[in-house]
Amino acid sequence: MDNIASHENWKSCFSEIGPGLLLFARQWTRSAADAEDIVQEAFVKFWRRNHQINNRALLYATVRSIALDFIRRDKRRARREATVFADADPTVEPQFEWEDEAQSALAAAVSCLPHDQREVLVLKIWNELTFSEIAGALGISQNTAASRYRYALANLKKSLQPQ
Amino acid sequence: MNDFPELENELRALRPARTSPVIFERIEEALAENCRAPVSGAGSMANWLRRFTETPFRFGIGLVAAAAAVVLLLARINTDQTRNEDKEIAQVAPASETRPVLPAFSGGSGVNGSMSSNKFVPAGATQVVYNTRNEGLQFADGSRQPLRRLRYQTQQTWQWRNPSTGASLRVSYPSEEVVLIPVSGQ
Repeated sequence: MDNIASHENWKSCFSEIGPGLLLFARQWTRSAADAEDIVQEAFVKFWRRNHQINNRALLYATVRSIALDFIRRDKRRARREATVFADADPTVEPQFEWEDEAQSALAAAVSCLPHDQREVLVLKIWNELTFSEIAGALGISQNTAASRYRYALANLKKSLQPQ
Repeated sequence: MNDFPELENELRALRPARTSPVIFERIEEALAENCRAPVSGAGSMANWLRRFTETPFRFGIGLVAAAAAVVLLLARINTDQTRNEDKEIAQVAPASETRPVLPAFSGGSGVNGSMSSNKFVPAGATQVVYNTRNEGLQFADGSRQPLRRLRYQTQQTWQWRNPSTGASLRVSYPSEEVVLIPVSGQ
């Protein structure tokens, strides 16, 4: 087997999927740095075994699993941070790069979605997974994935409508 | 089928935050590190070790460590209690303190000869000077240099402990010491 480090194609793979993976991991973390730690661990673990992204569902399932482990491991710190964040300015690092007010409002609306809808939306829109792949990554049925996606879009539309 | 094509397009136009360039270096390092690691038997051993230290084995290791800590703590408490009892016995038996009897170190004879393990080890020695008397200058053995004669009155205490039984023996007695210190005229 060739030297894994010499496989330069991991860089092109990661350049392509990195931002989406990071956005997916950001759902469980407050800081981009923690999300990057999770993504790094998951990607390295995945690439060691596969040397290519042939099963995207498995890659996202790995990210999710590591993120959940991270939360469990870091529960105490998270509680402490939650207390601090509750007292301090509630702004967190942005998950999107918006260009105007409309995009800013859209990003805010996405972050307010229920967690189960948001993760399906993130996988579908910014990671371009099929419902079958989303179902595999999240351990749910395709129908559930599709209905969560529709609920997410409906909720977004509702929240973006002028009052 | 799809009721929200416009919204989907708007969402797609929203770009996720970019990854930091550092993450590429970190992944490269991690992958290179993985390559340096042996792949064959030693690799599988490392994997086994890693799996062993991961959950739920980690929980088991934690339990074993906690149990060992409790056992050590109990043993320590037990030893401390024995020491305290020894101290009390020593305090209520002043005769043994004043009598200069040396303990039997390993021969099995002497006052502690009946003990099963008579190995006492020195545990401490103190010398308390409670009086110093200057007895003046003197010339010793025809020496031309004067010497100052100092008399120290002290209380010396020696202590031994038997590690196996926790028994201790303390001997305390008064002593007097004369010291001659050369005095040089300037």
